[in-house]
Amino acid sequence: MSAVGKLLDRRDCVRRGLKALGASGQLGYGIPEKSLAVGLERAPDYIGADMGSIDPGPYYLGSGELATAPATTRTDLARLLRAARQLDIPLLIGTAGSAGAAPHLDKTLAMVRDIARADGLRFRLASIRADMPRPLVKEAVRSGRVTPIDSMVPLSEAHIDEASHLVGQMGTEAFCRALQSDADVVIAGRACDTAIFAAVPALLGCAMGPAMHMSKIIECASLCCVPGGRDPILATLEGDSFVLESMNSERRATAMSVAAHSLYEQSDPDRVAEPEGVLLVRSARYEEIDDRRTRVSGAQWIPASRPTIKLEGAVRVGERAVLLCGSCDQRVINHISDILTEVTEVVRGLVCRDEPEDYRLIFRVYGIDGVYPWPVPPSPMPREIFILGECIAPTAERAGAVVRTAKQYLLHHGFPGRLSTAGNVAFPFTPPELSGGTAYRFNVYHIMQVDELAPLFPVEIEDL
Amino acid sequence: MKLVELARTVRSKNAGPLKLTLDLLFDDEAAYRRVLQSPALEPGSVARLYGRREGTVEVLPHPAALAIKIVMDRLVVSGDVGDRDVYGAQQHAPLLDLEL
Repeated sequence: MSAVGKLLDRRDCVRRGLKALGASGQLGYGIPEKSLAVGLERAPDYIGADMGSIDPGPYYLGSGELATAPATTRTDLARLLRAARQLDIPLLIGTAGSAGAAPHLDKTLAMVRDIARADGLRFRLASIRADMPRPLVKEAVRSGRVTPIDSMVPLSEAHIDEASHLVGQMGTEAFCRALQSDADVVIAGRACDTAIFAAVPALLGCAMGPAMHMSKIIECASLCCVPGGRDPILATLEGDSFVLESMNSERRATAMSVAAHSLYEQSDPDRVAEPEGVLLVRSARYEEIDDRRTRVSGAQWIPASRPTIKLEGAVRVGERAVLLCGSCDQRVINHISDILTEVTEVVRGLVCRDEPEDYRLIFRVYGIDGVYPWPVPPSPMPREIFILGECIAPTAERAGAVVRTAKQYLLHHGFPGRLSTAGNVAFPFTPPELSGGTAYRFNVYHIMQVDELAPLFPVEIEDL
Repeated sequence: MKLVELARTVRSKNAGPLKLTLDLLFDDEAAYRRVLQSPALEPGSVARLYGRREGTVEVLPHPAALAIKIVMDRLVVSGDVGDRDVYGAQQHAPLLDLEL
């Protein structure tokens, strides 16, 4: 019998106290070993982990690369696979490989198969794809069923064609379908964080208000605690409420810390929109059981009349090259804004003699306004500055040519009052120019109304 | 009095790639109320502090968490060419010097 079959068999028992272990908020950066062991000793009914996010920017979705190191990712996956198989409980992982498109999912599945083979683990694996069929999205655009999120421009068919990967965030429904195929392990492409944890309660017929709220909190592991951290968290869903407890004894889930967590990375924390409905958190109550555990109740789940999917896509904008250098000469520092403007002009004159101005050259000056766009420079000026030059061009060769020219002319640029005639800047190493690979930007971040979710997120089953 | 003398946490982060959300968290109700009532926390004042147009910044109180949330658009979409802060995690700095 499958792991989920066993859970369903004792549904009356587990519905009184369903234990979910939130193992990681970003699988692949290392799971604290001791707190994971503590969590497993508590005999959870299922394990979930989020493996991706839109936060690291468009590169990973665009390129198909993982944000996490392969070795660490494999270690994390192996730990959870062994644990789940040993306890014979479902393991659910969402947004495989950082961004959840086909290459991310495939790389993650390859690791899972390899771990199963190496460790002699036997289980039924379900994978769920999240790549959106482009003709279908175009049709949705034509029929006015796609709307921009925030200040994105309306989606065009060109955007859809240009995106190197185009994914949709799956909801709880997709994970439920995978589990209904008797999967022991579910590895999903781009997925809502909540869906990872909400599917088992949904299958068991638990109240979805508290189940979704619990899922929203534990997908970040112990981040809802004081002090917040990456340690696994145990949530026990007991009817219309749930109890949170970090598996690191130094992290306390307090009423205030849990309530404040709902603000994290949300512009409207009272309302969490999901494909199948909306979670309303404002009515939630937080009650401390002791100094480490808090009981949460009262959130409401409003099913949507029509499902929606959040679409994400990234397009290549060019190749990036960077230049790294710094200065501690007060004369250079005082004139740096003018120097960089002038050097940019000199570079333009040199690299655009026979070619068009087909690149962007940007300087960020750390110590002045590299991190935050301060309206005026500091007074007094800093003792040292760091200069990051960045070029985005159609080819790596072109981007490299621009930053190399910039390097040389920045080093030797003349300015009023200059004493440093042997060089204006210091290079920390050689070469001071580096290739930054391909640059991407988000060109799809939209909501698509659909009639049916299931056909968009196909489940594939394999027995390992 | 400065905001940092009363706030336990002053943080910023993306809320999706187009929005920036700044959270001010407090340990006690008095501090929370004091800050919430300050003219410096009016949406127009925060917009000026961030060099934004009036009406583009929201200030949202969350009494259950003793928290105040500030929401505005990112100047550059996360990770786009010219971005300075992909995660938006360092955009709270102007608040660190804020006089109430």
